[in-house]
Amino acid sequence: MGLKTAASIRIGEELPPLTKPIAQRQIDAYSGVRPYSIHTDAEWARKKGFAAPLAQGMMSTAYVSQMMVQFLGEGFVRGGRMSVAFVKPVLAGDTLTMHGAVKSMDAEGAQKRVTVEFWCENQQGVKTMVGNASGLAA
Amino acid sequence: MVEFKRISYDVVRVGEEFMSDDFLVKPEDVDTFAFAVDDHHPWFFEDSPFGGTIVHPVLLGNQALTMRHSRYIVPAGLHAKMQFEFIEPVRVGMRVRSYGKVIDKFEKRGRHYMVTEFTTRNEESGTVLTRGQFTQMLFPE
Repeated sequence: MGLKTAASIRIGEELPPLTKPIAQRQIDAYSGVRPYSIHTDAEWARKKGFAAPLAQGMMSTAYVSQMMVQFLGEGFVRGGRMSVAFVKPVLAGDTLTMHGAVKSMDAEGAQKRVTVEFWCENQQGVKTMVGNASGLAA
Repeated sequence: MVEFKRISYDVVRVGEEFMSDDFLVKPEDVDTFAFAVDDHHPWFFEDSPFGGTIVHPVLLGNQALTMRHSRYIVPAGLHAKMQFEFIEPVRVGMRVRSYGKVIDKFEKRGRHYMVTEFTTRNEESGTVLTRGQFTQMLFPE
């Protein structure tokens, strides 16, 4: 194997969407169960103004990583970058769908840096996270 | 005895440094993470082009994110922004530690935020594995 070739990528290309139902058990496994946590203590989350426990924003960065590893492979694991803004809370029971499209390809030494603009929507079509991620191609 | 203060905009200092506990990456951490984010890529369990298995690139993100807990009582917080740069893959058996420094704090629309830059290293070799920065909202009392 090796880096994906830049010739096989075109600007504007859409990445296959990635859908993630988020169960409370997954949030528990990710964040660790403890009292007085907005992630794993439903009553505490309600006291803080949320209808249900919140998935950590970091869980959504894992979905971006998964999408980018599927798209660029090695060039994301070594040399990848990600910049995200969490714009709306994600609650236990939500289903997120990640979308991404190739925004640019720029020379970086002998390789190309491929930048993907992505966004994440919940089941109501509300954006919960936006940003860009990049990795290297040959 | 060290007394932990409750974190707040007033007590956090720009330039303040944090360090996480060290953490040995174990097979069960890979399993738990794969379940949590439903990502069972074969590179995490079988083999990878890097020679042997690697772990999910963001598996150690929480180590960096919770560094401030080593100095403050943090009752709750919202994560506003996150940046990662993946330098070298992380593997099971590595002992890793994150180092951070507060580089900014600011108020926006009546809410307080702190910005921390971080580096996660292989403690034994000193190799930088991941670096980046994150912005966290400081909850009011």
